[in-house]
Amino acid sequence: MTKQEHNEQMKTVRLVWGYLRHNLMSAMAYRGAFFLQVAGMLLNDAMLLFFWWVLFNRLPTLQGWDLAGVMTLYGIVAFGFGAATVVCGNAFLVARVITSGDLDYYLALPADPLVHLLVSRMSLPGWGDLLFGLVVFLVAAPDRWVSLPLFLLLGLLAGVILVGFSVLVGSLAFWVGNADQLAAQAINALVTFGLYPVEIFPGVVRVLLYTLIPAAFVGSIPAGLLSDFDWGRLAALVAFTAGIALAARWVFRWGLRRYESGNLVMVRG
Amino acid sequence: MARYGFVLWTAARQQLAYRAELAMRAIQMVLFMGVFIALWTTAFGASGQAELEGYRLAEMVWYLAMTETITLSSSRVFIEISEAVKAGNLAYTLTRPLSYPFFQVANSLGNSIPRFALNLLTAVAVVGLGMGWLPVLSPSVPSASLRTSSLGMNSAEGAGSLRGLLAFLWMAALALLLDSLIAVLIGLLAFWIEEVTPVFWIYQKLLFTVGGLFLPLEMFPDWLRRVAGWLPFQFITYVPARAFVAFEPGFVLRAMAGQIAYVVMFSALVVFVWRRAQRRLVVHGG
Repeated sequence: MTKQEHNEQMKTVRLVWGYLRHNLMSAMAYRGAFFLQVAGMLLNDAMLLFFWWVLFNRLPTLQGWDLAGVMTLYGIVAFGFGAATVVCGNAFLVARVITSGDLDYYLALPADPLVHLLVSRMSLPGWGDLLFGLVVFLVAAPDRWVSLPLFLLLGLLAGVILVGFSVLVGSLAFWVGNADQLAAQAINALVTFGLYPVEIFPGVVRVLLYTLIPAAFVGSIPAGLLSDFDWGRLAALVAFTAGIALAARWVFRWGLRRYESGNLVMVRG
Repeated sequence: MARYGFVLWTAARQQLAYRAELAMRAIQMVLFMGVFIALWTTAFGASGQAELEGYRLAEMVWYLAMTETITLSSSRVFIEISEAVKAGNLAYTLTRPLSYPFFQVANSLGNSIPRFALNLLTAVAVVGLGMGWLPVLSPSVPSASLRTSSLGMNSAEGAGSLRGLLAFLWMAALALLLDSLIAVLIGLLAFWIEEVTPVFWIYQKLLFTVGGLFLPLEMFPDWLRRVAGWLPFQFITYVPARAFVAFEPGFVLRAMAGQIAYVVMFSALVVFVWRRAQRRLVVHGG
């Protein structure tokens, strides 16, 4: 790495850190609303587990999954989702930012436009997801403290995949114009499928969940690694995560070359 | 009443103007029903039983299609109300010859009806393709072939009988009315708390759980089923769907009485909360 590249990277790290701090501080200005949203999301996520609790009261296992397994799966997806939306609060809004012409603001500044766009917003309920993921893992996993570092790593990888996928589908807006709804539905599909063990789906759908909507990489594969660790599968997951992140970066840059300004004039404080 | 009818009609026509958005919502239904068909086919296979608590596989999936149809058509009017409260736009609505909260109820129902129709058609198409058509939807099957429901009541008609469908439509209308009253109440909470969305999440998850959106109440442990039976949430999701998969006159009458009682109770609550809210409203010149 050259010295210049190193400086660039340090600049990006400082940018991300600065936004995190700044966004958290501005959330703290309305402390009541912040804590209400975090607590609300915690409760919200916990109630989603109700379905599995009732179902596993009737059935002991489902294709090898039991309640603790599904809880771990929820833990990873929720932690990843929380991390993604706390750090990159604009990840799910890429298409909207592109179509509305708000991108101009980021292009005019020296920081990397994609990184800057992603981190400039923080989702406050995301903190609730993050916390829920951690708590549900600690409750469900049998060897919780030993596997906590692995859980954190897998959760962060899930978060990177979520952001990468969101940037990919959001970048569609460079080509098809109003891709806002389409991107939202694709992200929704990723999260929805991610929350179910991939083994319950028939073969054709399962292929889709490893490819077009890579939900297996967000939920089932990392949850499987926690119960049955294997270096090979972890390496494959890391490789996939790096691949989708690089693809997202590349597609966004490619789209940016086609981008025409919306000529939106506004003042930002 | 005619004024509220007009509000409802206008809101419904507005929805139809955004057809692309409506179609996108249909994708969500396809997605959810696809997941449910896969999940329950696996679950029934794993259990090795033909019935779970009286529900056969097809009945379970049709039940979920109906609860999803209602939930995906439910009200989001709390967003508009809470924003109006925060921005102070509410002042303009006070001069209208309509009660603001009931104007919003009509507005919400108008938004829900086209979505309900589309969701119902999508759900029927997806589940019909995935699980086989129901008697009422397939003219080739004579009505005499309606089998007795396996839900344990000899007088009940099986999933998809014509009477079951009619009962479902009536009960779904009452369910959406009850839902819009609750959404208006959540919106009005903005007079007291800064952010009402978390309250909506909790309400939504109560529908998911004790409302029976994901699981019929019969699947619950006994104590929880008894608790859920007294709460308003089952009247929004469980009862209409249950009437569809197993039509039974006694159940339908009891359930509709419960729905009406809750509609009256929540209407009174809306009036009461709105009076209290008006006292907190400070209108500055502008």
